[in-house]
Amino acid sequence: MALTTHRRSRSLNPGRDPLSPFLHIDLMLVLSTLALAAIGTVLIYSATRGSDPELYDTSFLERQIIFVMVGTAVMAGTALIPYERLQAWAPTFYAAGLVGLLAVLAVGVERNDARSWFQVGTFQIQPSEFAKVGFIVVLASFISRFDGDLNARQLGTALALAVAPLALIMRQPDVGTTLVFVAILMGMLLIGGARFGHIIALTALGIGMLALIWNSGTLEAYQEERLISFLESEITQTDAGYQQAQSQIAIGNGGVSGRGFGQGGQTQGDFVPEQHTDFIFTVVGEEFGFVGSTVVLGLFAMIIWRTWRTAKKAANTFGALICVGVMTMFVFQMFQSVGMTTGIMPITGIPAPFLSYGGSSALTSFLAIGLVLNVHMRRYQVRR
Amino acid sequence: MVIDTRSGRLRMSLLGAVAVALFAALFARVWFLQVLNEQEFVQLADGNQVRQVVELAPRGRIIDVNGKTIVDNRPSIVISIDRETIVKNVSDEDLDDLFFRLAQEISATGQLTKVAELRTAFESERFGPFAEVPVARDVSEDLQLYLAERSHEFPGVNSSVVMVRTYPYGDLAAHILGYVGALNEEEWLATRDKPKQYQENDFIGKTGIELFYEDALRGTPGFRTIKVDRFSNVIEELEASEPVAGSDVHLTIDVDLQRLTEDELKRGLEFARTQEDKKQEGEGIVVYNAPAGAVVILDPRDGSVRAMASFPTYDPALFVNGISAEAFAALTDEEADLPLLNRAIQGEYAPGSTFKPFTTYAALDTGLLGSRGILGVFTEYSDEGWYRIPNCGDSTCVFTNAASKPLGQVDLRLALTLSSDVYFYNLAANFDRLAFDTDSIQQAAVLFGYGSPTGVTLPGELAGRMPTPATRLADNEANPEAFPNSRWGTGDTLNTAIGQGDVLATPLQIANAYSVIANGGTLYAPNLARTIVDPITQEAELSFGPRILRQLYWPTLIRDPIWDGLKGVTNYQDELGFDEGTTRNATARKSFEGFPLDDWPVAGKTGTSEKFSADGPIADYALFVGYGPLPNPEYVAVALLEEAGFGGDYAAPVIRNIFQRIAEGTVPEVLTQEDQDLRAALQAVLFEEAQQAAGAATETTDNGSGSDASVDGEAAG
Repeated sequence: MALTTHRRSRSLNPGRDPLSPFLHIDLMLVLSTLALAAIGTVLIYSATRGSDPELYDTSFLERQIIFVMVGTAVMAGTALIPYERLQAWAPTFYAAGLVGLLAVLAVGVERNDARSWFQVGTFQIQPSEFAKVGFIVVLASFISRFDGDLNARQLGTALALAVAPLALIMRQPDVGTTLVFVAILMGMLLIGGARFGHIIALTALGIGMLALIWNSGTLEAYQEERLISFLESEITQTDAGYQQAQSQIAIGNGGVSGRGFGQGGQTQGDFVPEQHTDFIFTVVGEEFGFVGSTVVLGLFAMIIWRTWRTAKKAANTFGALICVGVMTMFVFQMFQSVGMTTGIMPITGIPAPFLSYGGSSALTSFLAIGLVLNVHMRRYQVRR
Repeated sequence: MVIDTRSGRLRMSLLGAVAVALFAALFARVWFLQVLNEQEFVQLADGNQVRQVVELAPRGRIIDVNGKTIVDNRPSIVISIDRETIVKNVSDEDLDDLFFRLAQEISATGQLTKVAELRTAFESERFGPFAEVPVARDVSEDLQLYLAERSHEFPGVNSSVVMVRTYPYGDLAAHILGYVGALNEEEWLATRDKPKQYQENDFIGKTGIELFYEDALRGTPGFRTIKVDRFSNVIEELEASEPVAGSDVHLTIDVDLQRLTEDELKRGLEFARTQEDKKQEGEGIVVYNAPAGAVVILDPRDGSVRAMASFPTYDPALFVNGISAEAFAALTDEEADLPLLNRAIQGEYAPGSTFKPFTTYAALDTGLLGSRGILGVFTEYSDEGWYRIPNCGDSTCVFTNAASKPLGQVDLRLALTLSSDVYFYNLAANFDRLAFDTDSIQQAAVLFGYGSPTGVTLPGELAGRMPTPATRLADNEANPEAFPNSRWGTGDTLNTAIGQGDVLATPLQIANAYSVIANGGTLYAPNLARTIVDPITQEAELSFGPRILRQLYWPTLIRDPIWDGLKGVTNYQDELGFDEGTTRNATARKSFEGFPLDDWPVAGKTGTSEKFSADGPIADYALFVGYGPLPNPEYVAVALLEEAGFGGDYAAPVIRNIFQRIAEGTVPEVLTQEDQDLRAALQAVLFEEAQQAAGAATETTDNGSGSDASVDGEAAG
């Protein structure tokens, strides 16, 4: 292979195997990820330490540091196992995912009107987070078999695979995560070779379904309110309108250079509910300003770009599709999370990857990056 | 592999483009919020987080000349509703229930409160959307505690303690002190120009001293600028200024004399109501209505007001927690004789014969009376009870004394003492006939302050009226319907000379004009406040000295006949009546019988002004002005009793009684309500002890009755 020869000639250490995965770790991706996670812990600390300097609450900070450390280990561990093996485990993942999602409906705890968590000791585990990565692997495994051209039946099968987890997550109900699944599905179908006609038809179907759900009255009033409040320009006194208004005020209040760490009045005054989780971007916006927002968005762009690039360089379609899945997941979560805090997207509970407080979200994100690293490392090794 | 195909690359590019587009959108939005609109959001954020908390400062006290506090402050618990909390936490259905329960709780403590009232307060547009709206004032501590313990059942219902006015002497001096009330719309707008800041639900002085010295009395509120969190918990204090109590106003009033004055006025009116009005022709006995009156006592040496009473009066405590519409209507009801009206400065009355000294001044000053005038000061003039204007044949040209009573031979002095109208008609007619100004009398009166406000330090003072040919014409031109008569005739000058016709003066104006006579020619603007004092350091921030408005030409040639004439009013008597041998009594002689005139000489003048209602003449208004002790008067006092008959009989006793107490040094000491209660309690205890002692004594006597041993027993005990 020409490329291989080329690599070899440039290798600084010809004595070792130039194709060794360890020579092809995407450091840029690793560093961006760790930087973002580090920034996230700082933001969480600012958002949760409280206002009493004598008695700062460090419990969130400590937990998040643990999450990030465990997450880094998970990322490394994930990168070590040759990802091809995952293909064989895909049915197991799928089954485990469904069991988890079913179990959470049965024995999960309810928070914010959604039954999405298992209570394990003092920790809460959100199976739908992990299910996202499982779903990516399962879908990649299935679609990669058809190597770039999905006929109607294969597409139907892929959709059928998606229906069960989607339905279970909707039952919780967790509109946000459901939408992430849809985004992942659409991204992977696009790259996996679904026909454009099908994609357009699916999109139309999706819009039609949304309209149907909207008019059917299945949504609770508060859900509707959350979904449309971003369209209202006036600051309203409703809860959702309040949250979105306060969030935008916080971000605008940061201005160009930000109020400084621990100095954001909106943040310190706890004006934005859920500011340490879904609304974490308000903290960046207020305390670190436009500069901080740009850095965070830049780091995300870097992760997305490296993932996209890895997809293009992947040794096989399975690897590429994993990267595409991860990429669409991050792009959607990022856009949704920052979009709702800045008022261009409706409020749906989606964490910002690496920034939001939460073990499930952090581990899932690191897991996803681990997969991308895995694909990147083995782009010369894996048999096509 | 799929990525390497042409379609694959296209699809990857498409995915990349979507990602780039979404990131671009986020970046643009963040740019919009943080770079383009930073200022707006910073302001919004500050509005969110920064709050100003006002700490009300107590109002200054009002203190009498001897340091007794007449108006004080006391804490009062106010229940208010916080609209922000209610809007956020209470649904519309629950709101009615909340109001119902709240109204029930407040009503249960004795303040009847309706749900509709709470709703009106809640929806009132006078308060900002997030303001606290007061719904009940002066509630019990029990209710405050009850609501505080059940704050979850009464969301948005708060209580706070504010300082309100309290009046240790009850309704004493109500008209002087005035009252405070909640700011109205107009006052609220006007407060922007005031030196001290106001809140929408603040109280402000409405009348009297409370209004006149508002700027001094008002405390400077303290402000705390605080940063709060979403739940309004204080995070940080950014700025703070302490509230500063308002300054005390020390008055020239003496509470003891004020009480005496008010009591005597009331007593004088009550007495008149028991007396027959002989002028009225009707079936049975018609008594005087004597519905209202005023007394003013000035210190002629510096123009300070020593006492000022107006009847009927009111209780300023009614206004402390906001007066009800019905109660306020009662106070401003004409049928109830307008209790809020301070007749001493807002009642305009014909001064009647009390005006004669000023006509005298005009005659002496111009030379109409005197060695080269129509009459000498001591020239006797025959008062036959009536006067006809020379060269005038009409019956309207005849003017008479009261009841056409002839007084006989009178010189200037006796004309004043006996109050001869005819004598003064003669002077007045000659002003018109000879080469004098037609308005010579008015010119003189204006020097004494008639026709313009005295400048007393009270709001709402009226100017009275000093009519002249010029004003007559001007009134007619301005409003021919109300003033059909444009011509000034000699008859008008005659009426003016005896303080009738169109002449009007407030009791304070009359007192102030007599001060000029009493003090030797100095016209002062009366003062009610002596000093404004810092309540903490007790240092005077402002002192008000005498305010001299004018120094009049006041030679003994003018002074002596007037003083002699007025001095006779309280005691003169002779046997030189018109019908040979009849007794002539000075107008106030009877009323001053038994008064220690030798120790405390009093000069004065009676007045009885005729009054006409739409239905014809009504009972005369009684007036008396006195000053003493001569020769260096310290008191000038005016009494005016509406519809109470002859001044010498009904107004003079009021002043006489007051002066007698002053002369004898027996002005009773006034106790505050609190002291009275204490005394009563003490007396009750003493009484009980005395009874017990008596009971014990009785017992002892019973035990020892018929036994000599009791004596031993007591001795042993």
